[in-house]
Amino acid sequence: MENVGAFALLMAMCVSLFAIVAAVVGRVRNKPFLVLSAERAVLAVWALVTTASGILVYALMTSDFHFAYVAGHSNKAMPTIYKFTAWWGGQEGSLLFWSWLLATYAAVVVVTNKRRHRDFIPYVMAILSTVQAFFLLLNNFVASPFQVLAVGQFITSVPDGVGLNPLLQYPAMAIHPPMLYLGYVGFAVPFAFAMASLITRQKGDAWIHTTRRWTIVTWLFLGVGIVLGSAWAYHVLGWGGYWAWDPVENASLLPWLGGTAFLHSVMMQEKKGMMKIWNMALVAVTFFLCLFGTFLTRSGVVSSVHAFAQSPIGTYFVAFLALLVAGTVYLILDRLPYLRSESQLESVVSRESSFLFNNLVLLASCFAVLWGTLFPVISEWVSNEKISLDGPWFNRLMIPIGLFLLVLTGVGPLFAWRRTSVESLRRNFLVPGLAAIALAIALFALGMRNAYAIISFGFCLFVMMTIVSEFYRGARAISNKDGINLLSATVQLTHRNTRRYGGYLVHMGIVLMFIGWTGSAFNQNSTVEVNGGSTATIGAYTLQVVELRNGDTENYQWDSALLKVSKNGQYLGTLEPERRFYKASQQGTAKVALRTRLNEDLYINFAGRVGDAATLQLYIFPLVTWIWIGALGLVGGTLIALVPSQVTRQYARTEVVGIKKNVTIEA
Amino acid sequence: MVIAFACLVAVAVFGSLIFLRPSDLPVQAPPSPFQHLDERKAAIYENLRDLQFEYRVGKLSDSDYQQTKLDLQRELAGVMAEIDRVRTELPADLQSVPAAKPKAAAAFLCPSCGATFQQSLKFCGECGKPMKARA
Repeated sequence: MENVGAFALLMAMCVSLFAIVAAVVGRVRNKPFLVLSAERAVLAVWALVTTASGILVYALMTSDFHFAYVAGHSNKAMPTIYKFTAWWGGQEGSLLFWSWLLATYAAVVVVTNKRRHRDFIPYVMAILSTVQAFFLLLNNFVASPFQVLAVGQFITSVPDGVGLNPLLQYPAMAIHPPMLYLGYVGFAVPFAFAMASLITRQKGDAWIHTTRRWTIVTWLFLGVGIVLGSAWAYHVLGWGGYWAWDPVENASLLPWLGGTAFLHSVMMQEKKGMMKIWNMALVAVTFFLCLFGTFLTRSGVVSSVHAFAQSPIGTYFVAFLALLVAGTVYLILDRLPYLRSESQLESVVSRESSFLFNNLVLLASCFAVLWGTLFPVISEWVSNEKISLDGPWFNRLMIPIGLFLLVLTGVGPLFAWRRTSVESLRRNFLVPGLAAIALAIALFALGMRNAYAIISFGFCLFVMMTIVSEFYRGARAISNKDGINLLSATVQLTHRNTRRYGGYLVHMGIVLMFIGWTGSAFNQNSTVEVNGGSTATIGAYTLQVVELRNGDTENYQWDSALLKVSKNGQYLGTLEPERRFYKASQQGTAKVALRTRLNEDLYINFAGRVGDAATLQLYIFPLVTWIWIGALGLVGGTLIALVPSQVTRQYARTEVVGIKKNVTIEA
Repeated sequence: MVIAFACLVAVAVFGSLIFLRPSDLPVQAPPSPFQHLDERKAAIYENLRDLQFEYRVGKLSDSDYQQTKLDLQRELAGVMAEIDRVRTELPADLQSVPAAKPKAAAAFLCPSCGATFQQSLKFCGECGKPMKARA
């Protein structure tokens, strides 16, 4: 069976190469049959990679341990769902998963554009197939998932596998990697459309209209992947945090920041025909950061707590990235006349300039994270000494940048396009500005002395008020005109322009997340040693140890502490933090006990046990729940932005003899 | 068995690449030389609509509204002029007609003066006499 899988992958690579040649030659020589053949090739690649993936998944599900990959990442005792998720649990499988997702995206692009954009779709196929061929090259010759265990020339197998890393045997972890990968891979599509548009010297924004939903969905996947990853770190790892500025975490944040900048700057092009070069560069940079993220995760070039193996894969990635960067730079420079701005920035106090600032700050944060992530490599080049930058370094830099971004979130929508007079500024800024200042003064008067926290809470209130006022003013205008109540008017307002008002809800989600992050300024923690009957305290909480327990299952051994929790003398219930030791992989993991409330979380980690004594790590995390609530707001807002607006951009096309008349631009 | 399956896969793949029927070819109208200008025009209309709405909800001062509206109208005039310029450069066999002009479809005809209208009217917009017959 492994031979069929390996054959399918090899064939998929050859067919991908054929698709590149057929698409380009077919387009250049105007041979529609060759272009059609290239389309079929893209679909065939999907079928072949799906066959290969199916074989690997089947081997994982049936615990076929003569596959080296199955023996290394699965075992018999694992629940079925985790046997399936082992597909992306290791190097070879995850690269195959990358390939499969890309093949699926490419097939969807071909199917959905059968009768559209025929002038540049061949190049879109060629670019996607180039990326596909690169990953299939890795699947075939660098990290094949179909290697078998052998002794000499004879294929053998082992009675049971090592099992998936126990830290990954967690529901959020079953979804987190595919979400991230859906995001990483998805940016290949807008990149391919952008480059195809450049190659064919398109004057309009067709590539932007076509890929708008792709970009939003991809950005959403990436965002959800990142949040799931941090939720998993918080709930599973037991170190009491959700973000550690680890290189692999940063690798996922970088394209998200790039994508966020792109989603904003693209509006400048659609609205005013500005920033065309910038948008091309930004979509390319975002895709390169996706590839860079995969490279960083898979090459082991920077040491990470994610502890992925060192592998020679990095060289291939660097070479491929260099090729793509060179190609993109050449194309942009060569096609500059087609990327000329159609209008100018008219005033510094305008929506345009706030978008520009937003982009510059996002890019600055992207660069800061990239610099910090690569600093060990850079320092090794310069001084032969590997110096890693830690969390406090990132926090020092990213907190002010984050706060600046937060305030821009509120300021941007208040500025008008083109220019904003002092009178307009006064109308829009007076109330939210005064409220924010009042809150800051009140917090200071109540004893809060953390400057960043005071500023952050002030900005959060400011942005919230601007968003609420946007909804309220719009809804009131509709309500007055149509005679409907405010709630119906708000729904109608949102439906009229889902993109704008969905975007505002995303902003609201981000504000809630900022509230949660700001809460971390007031974290408390303590490590205590306890035994049966003893008592520990943290903040207003008292924990009484009822008993220390232990047990054994087929998959793992466990130790736990049953605790009675009370706050200010009032009994709240019991909590039971646990520590597990997985037999197959010989690794230990935590099962944290949590008491979650909107104002704070009580977080208890069972760190270890020696004889009758157990070590417990106790934490209080104020406001942390708002991060997860904010993330839900982000998802909800993005989904609303994906709903087609009631008022679409329609126009009667200037007629040319023999061409159809009416057009609706995808909005 | 494995070899047979592999051969089957290979044949299926090559077959799908080679056996192409003319009916499978996608049909799409050739791109319009005005497309990017039409898109720009639509964007300006949308900007005007947004401007109107923001003014109505009280976000803009009178002077900002008037000035921006004027700018947008100027921009629109520029795009229209560009459409006309492109039209004059078109080859003779690919002549165009402006989109703004409604078609002279004689849907509703005035029996008195012969004026035509696209919608049904009780009285003629030209001569003011009653309209009854549908053309």
